Amino acid sequence: MKQFLYGLFILVFLALPPVANLMESVMIIHMHMQMPLLIITGFLFARLFQLRFPRFFEKWNRNGIPGIILFGVIVTYWTMPRSMDEALTTQGMEVFKFISLPILAGVPLRDSWKKLKPIVKNIVFYFFIFVFFGMGWLYIDSPVQLCNNYLIIEQITLGWGFITTAICMVIYLIYVAFVDPTKYE
Amino acid sequence: MQVENQKIWEVVFMIKTWHNTFACFLVLLFGFGLFYFGTNGFQAFTAETARVNKLIDEKPKFPDVTFEDSKGRKYSIAEFEDKYVFITFLYTSCTTVCPQLEMNMSKVYDKVPTKYIGKDVVFLSISFDPTRDDPSTLEKYRGYFNSDGETWRMARIANQSELDSLLKAFGVIVIPDENGNFAHNSAFYLVDKKGSLLDVLDYKRMDEAANELIGILDKEAGE
Repeated sequence: MKQFLYGLFILVFLALPPVANLMESVMIIHMHMQMPLLIITGFLFARLFQLRFPRFFEKWNRNGIPGIILFGVIVTYWTMPRSMDEALTTQGMEVFKFISLPILAGVPLRDSWKKLKPIVKNIVFYFFIFVFFGMGWLYIDSPVQLCNNYLIIEQITLGWGFITTAICMVIYLIYVAFVDPTKYE
Repeated sequence: MQVENQKIWEVVFMIKTWHNTFACFLVLLFGFGLFYFGTNGFQAFTAETARVNKLIDEKPKFPDVTFEDSKGRKYSIAEFEDKYVFITFLYTSCTTVCPQLEMNMSKVYDKVPTKYIGKDVVFLSISFDPTRDDPSTLEKYRGYFNSDGETWRMARIANQSELDSLLKAFGVIVIPDENGNFAHNSAFYLVDKKGSLLDVLDYKRMDEAANELIGILDKEAGE
């Protein structure tokens, strides 16, 4: 319950018009800070849902695969230039962002991650490394302005943000593959 | 016996997991739907493409605005009645995309047979920076691109609210930055004889744009 309240507090804070406007005024903060924070609020909500509806998660997300696919779909959707633009110009999309990222990405991620086999976890990483490199390349290399609400320079910054994140994931995977944590205990 | 047992266990397992499998399927379907509708059937991944597609569908009317051209003449869009109008939006202090845009426009202009120029089609560059782009500035600017000021005119819209109404109707997005420059989207706009938007064309593909324009003009002339 405590977690849920923390999550709710963050969500309400992020949704305050001045906070939302400020974060959305910078492209990279919009995508790489506001959106992940929204997922984290969902992560905090998840505990309560799991306690309230254990049967639901057990039945429909037995091996974690449906949840992680849903997470992937929602996150990929929000990396598209168009979704970002529309969140700024249409109220409905903005509301959808504040609902979909916590509920459809954050909650299933928490429920799924522990259930996933290591190999599936790696596949998830590969997928996002691929998407993030692709998106980074798209935002950096694109000669045209992809988002009508942001300048090209911001677009390039965002592209590098994607690439950096992807590189971090690669480093993490290498670390996991080559470092045996038991040696250091 | 053992084989049968195994089979039973398989069935039991399938029943136990069908929800899960079904959920996978459902989620994939949802994802497909989300991307399908989110991109107008995988057509428009950026808001710009979506904007252009929508404009071409809606064919908005050119709003009633007063131009002031490089020769200081004032008129409305009615000046070009019964002519196609080939339009670009620019500001003359722009150092990046606008010169390119106007250069490409001049290439289209050169491609159109002279018999149509001025008679069936007029070229018009509209400035969205009316404070700096007064008639004398436009007069100087037009010289760089061999625009004659008659069949290819450059004009500003002095009234800001009129200008805004046009930018809004034609989906031109202009964001000023702190250095007095603007970030803006660029395209060729083709307005038909009755003053409705006919098409929005990629300004980097001059040949395609010229061919489309000439095709339309030829068709009209043939009738």
